[in-house]
This record gives sequence, C-alpha cells and structure tokens, in this order.
Amino acid sequence: MEKNWDVIIIGGGPAGLAAAIYCGRALRKTLVLEKKVFGGQIVFADIIENYPGFAEPIVPADLMEQMVKQSERYGVVLENDEVQGLRREGDGWLVDVYQNTYTAKAILYAAGSVHRFLGAPGEQELLGRGVSVCATCDAPFFQERKVAVLGGGDTALSEALHLAKFASQVSLVHRRDQFRAEKILQDRVFKNDKIRVIWDSEVLAFKGEQRLEALEIRNKKTGLIEAMAFDGAFLAIGTIPNTELLRGFVKLDENGYVVSDISLRTEAKGLFIAGEVIKGNRRQVAISVGMGVQAALGCEEYLAALD
Amino acid sequence: MAEVISVNDGNFESFIQGSRMVIVDFWAPTCMPCQLMEPGLEKIAANHPENVRVLKVNVNESPKTSSRYFVRTLPTLLFIKDGQVRTQIIGAVNPGQIEKTLSEVS
Repeated sequence: MEKNWDVIIIGGGPAGLAAAIYCGRALRKTLVLEKKVFGGQIVFADIIENYPGFAEPIVPADLMEQMVKQSERYGVVLENDEVQGLRREGDGWLVDVYQNTYTAKAILYAAGSVHRFLGAPGEQELLGRGVSVCATCDAPFFQERKVAVLGGGDTALSEALHLAKFASQVSLVHRRDQFRAEKILQDRVFKNDKIRVIWDSEVLAFKGEQRLEALEIRNKKTGLIEAMAFDGAFLAIGTIPNTELLRGFVKLDENGYVVSDISLRTEAKGLFIAGEVIKGNRRQVAISVGMGVQAALGCEEYLAALD
Repeated sequence: MAEVISVNDGNFESFIQGSRMVIVDFWAPTCMPCQLMEPGLEKIAANHPENVRVLKVNVNESPKTSSRYFVRTLPTLLFIKDGQVRTQIIGAVNPGQIEKTLSEVS
C-alpha cells in the first residue's frame, strides 16, 4: 500500500466521494479513508427522491456505488479504515490508521456526522432491543407492531413512512407543533392512516427489561406525563458532527461544528472541509456533493501553489 | 478461496458446531448498511479460509434464528465458537474492526 499521498480525504460519504472525483481528475494521488461503509449517512435512507438528475427515486447504495466507481475511474484509491489520529509534519500531514501511517500534502476532511441520542434513561441499555437509529435496517422486526419515531425533520418523516409499510401503527413524537420536514413528506404522513402525530411532546425515558416496552412521554404544553406502550422507538433527532480529529487544528463551535465560509478552507494550512461537519449545513446529498467539489477545487489551488 | 455462505433456519445449526470461529451476519434486503458491508465480509472469509467460517442469515427468511439470538437491529454480527456466542458487533463496521474483534475472541 502506497504511504505518501497528495490528498487524503477523510470520510467516504457524498462530500468525500465528490471531492475524490475532482482530486482524481486533477491527477492528484488521492486516498479516501472511510471507517464504516462508503455512503455516509445516506445509507440509512430507503430511497432518494430529490437528488437532481434522476426522475425516478434512487436507492442510496446504487448512487454511492456509482460515485465509488466514478472516483476509481480517475485513479482514486478507496480504503476501509479508521483514522486514529491526525498530525502535522512540516507543511504536510500524517494520518494514523489501524496499523499504518500515511503522509499527505493536504487533507480534505469530510467525516460527516453520527446519530444524535436523547441521553434519556434506558436509551443505551435498550439500543438494539427495540431502540434503533435505522428504520430501513430494522423495520422487518416490527411487522404488525407498534412503533414510535422521534423527531420532526426529513429523516423522521421518511422513517415513519417506511415503517408504516411494516408496523401496525406508527407514532411520530415531535417536540414542536409543526414539522420542519419537506412539505411533500408532511403531506404523505398526514394522508397515511397508520401514522399519528404526538405533537409538543418529548420522551423522558425508555422503559423495558429485556426489550423496549414503553416510552415515558411528557406533553410540553400540559405537562402531563404518560407511559405509552411501544415495541420499537426510532431516533431521528438529528446528528452530531464527527470532528474530534480536528480539535487543536480548527476552531469548533459549542456543538462541535466547524464554522466556515464558502471557501471551505480552514485556519490550518492544507486542511479543507466539506459536508456535515460544517455549521449550518442542511443535510442534503446535493449540498454535500457541492461542498465536496468546492473544497476539492480549493485544495487543488493550494497544491498547485506548492508545485 | 472461502466465501460467505448463505444459511437459513433449516440448516443454521449444522454450520455453527465445531471449534472453528463462525461469524454470522444478520441482514435484510432493505438494510443498506448491510449491503455495503458485504464486500468486507467476503474479504474476511477469503483471509481466513481455514479457521473462520462466515455465514449470512436473511432475517426475513429466517425469523427463528434471528429470534433465538434476540437480533432486533441490523446489521448484527455474531461471533460463535463451539456453539456459543463469544461477542457481537451491532451496526456497520469495516473489515479492520472485524479483524480486530476476531483477534480478541479467537
């Protein structure tokens, strides 16, 4: 395995892979490191309907497979490995992975985000035993059962619609009195007989011994606390940025996001960012792709000045 | 070269006996992370043709096996030796993490 690279892209989601295509086409020796599976957060979606250029809904895995092949076509190397540390060496970078260290002239950091948890009692203990973060993964276990989806954004409503194909009843538990999800998804949710919405409510605890049995839910307007029986609870309350490796190099805001302007450069020389690590991102494949391209072009400008 | 073997409720038991380490991948066609993990599992099977057997169980087609091990989230990997579960990994992981777990439980 080659040790020395022009660019190492950390993260193999839409932002990282879009950047990889541009770095490859700039004839830079490019390595993409992905700790889990190529695709990032979109692999949890069942279909993508709003990525421009596709009249029919697309399957995330198919889209990612095309991005992977497209980057490989331009000589990019994709490696399934977890970055353990990021270090400076002179003007360049050292990237430590499991049992190896690589060098790079520039880093493009697109490590994305991970699921946010509520932090309520019982949540971690019952994770994988009724509590889930992936409806497309776990829906088959809830055939003709009662499930709850926590959240009110695109992910929550998409998950509720997917679960309604399996479960007997789906309850969307949302802390506000309106959704922020796309209107088309709201329309589908309101028209689906299996889905009901529990507005203005928050989950205080996940109850159950061997598996999830109930959720303790508080109505924020009335203050009433009620235990409601559920076999499954799906968390779709947002994500947190994967930015631990950037600490010490880049200033992060109080939630761990990188604050950046459109250049997607950082205060650390040769370190560029893209995708869901950036404050204010709207978590859309098309946006991540665009940011990946923007960061890759900035990265190329930086490398060209070194040549 | 060893490959990943598809098993079901009918023949699962016969594949997990013996002293060889068995990795069982519980998956479903709708589970995208499961599909994306497949190349990594094939790599693991190919890397350990003698001492590790890699099985995959479609939870839709084999509910008994999934219930027996209380699998309620996908992907789930079970590491079984001598018929006993030694450890499990829940959620998508890369081959490096599977190798690490293998070396810890072997």
